[in-house]
Amino acid sequence: MLPWRYYRNHEAISETQQEALKDKRVLVVGCGGLGGYVVEYLGRLGVGHLVVVDGDVFDDSNLNRQILSSNLNLGKPKVLAAKQRMQAVNPLVEVTAIQGLLDESNALAFMEGCDVVVDALDGIPSRLILQASAAKAGIPMVHGAIAGWCGQVCIIQPGENRLEKIYGNTTTAKGMEETQGNLSFTAALVAGIQAAETVKLLLGMGRPLKGLLYIDLLNGECDEIPLG
Amino acid sequence: MIKVNTRDHPWQEGMTVRGVIEEKKFTFRHLVVRVNGNFIPEDQYEHHVINDGDNVMVIHLIAGG
Repeated sequence: MLPWRYYRNHEAISETQQEALKDKRVLVVGCGGLGGYVVEYLGRLGVGHLVVVDGDVFDDSNLNRQILSSNLNLGKPKVLAAKQRMQAVNPLVEVTAIQGLLDESNALAFMEGCDVVVDALDGIPSRLILQASAAKAGIPMVHGAIAGWCGQVCIIQPGENRLEKIYGNTTTAKGMEETQGNLSFTAALVAGIQAAETVKLLLGMGRPLKGLLYIDLLNGECDEIPLG
Repeated sequence: MIKVNTRDHPWQEGMTVRGVIEEKKFTFRHLVVRVNGNFIPEDQYEHHVINDGDNVMVIHLIAGG
């Protein structure tokens, strides 16, 4: 008998699938605009183990979009807020909070036992490190990024190196978000798609994204662009 | 006719990457452009000619989280 809290996941998620989610482990790297929502969505859904990595603390500039930030936790670690949030919302979910930055030396240890890696980082170099580490660990990665009214999501299977196709040979660390900022609904939307793709991978259901889902909310456009 | 991000777009003789960018109103800096899968550097936008039937990907470079 499943906990009643999952009653409204049914039948979109079957009882067997719900039971399976309990034993799944997802690494969420970045706990800001995207990562906060990803933790919220996966935790409420019932993914049993979430490993959340972020070295940052909240400040005022996060309040426009980061669901875990509030006037009450400014200056506090983001990963601590993720853990506290899940304790309040769904204590059946075990959250391992790691306050620190992911790099080549620690990434594989963070990924141990994980089924899927969620890329909720900002900046390009750290994403490339995550992609290489996930490939080494043999774990699929769900990439997401936002800037202003635009967002993108794609799945990267080990060895696909799709970030190179998306970012070309750019030498810049940041993208359009430097001038356009990040909006609340763009973060929630892209994180929601990342969460959905993660669950599809975890349960082997549906049609996982094949290309780069690129969304331009300002012009009302959404394309799944082949990455070859 | 060419494809721009999977959508049909009218082709014109002499069309360049820069022309596609302007027609599609990609107004912000930091773009990633690929034509038939090949990455086109920014300094070639003015000169790289688009042929009828080409498959063009133009996206803003976005990396925020």
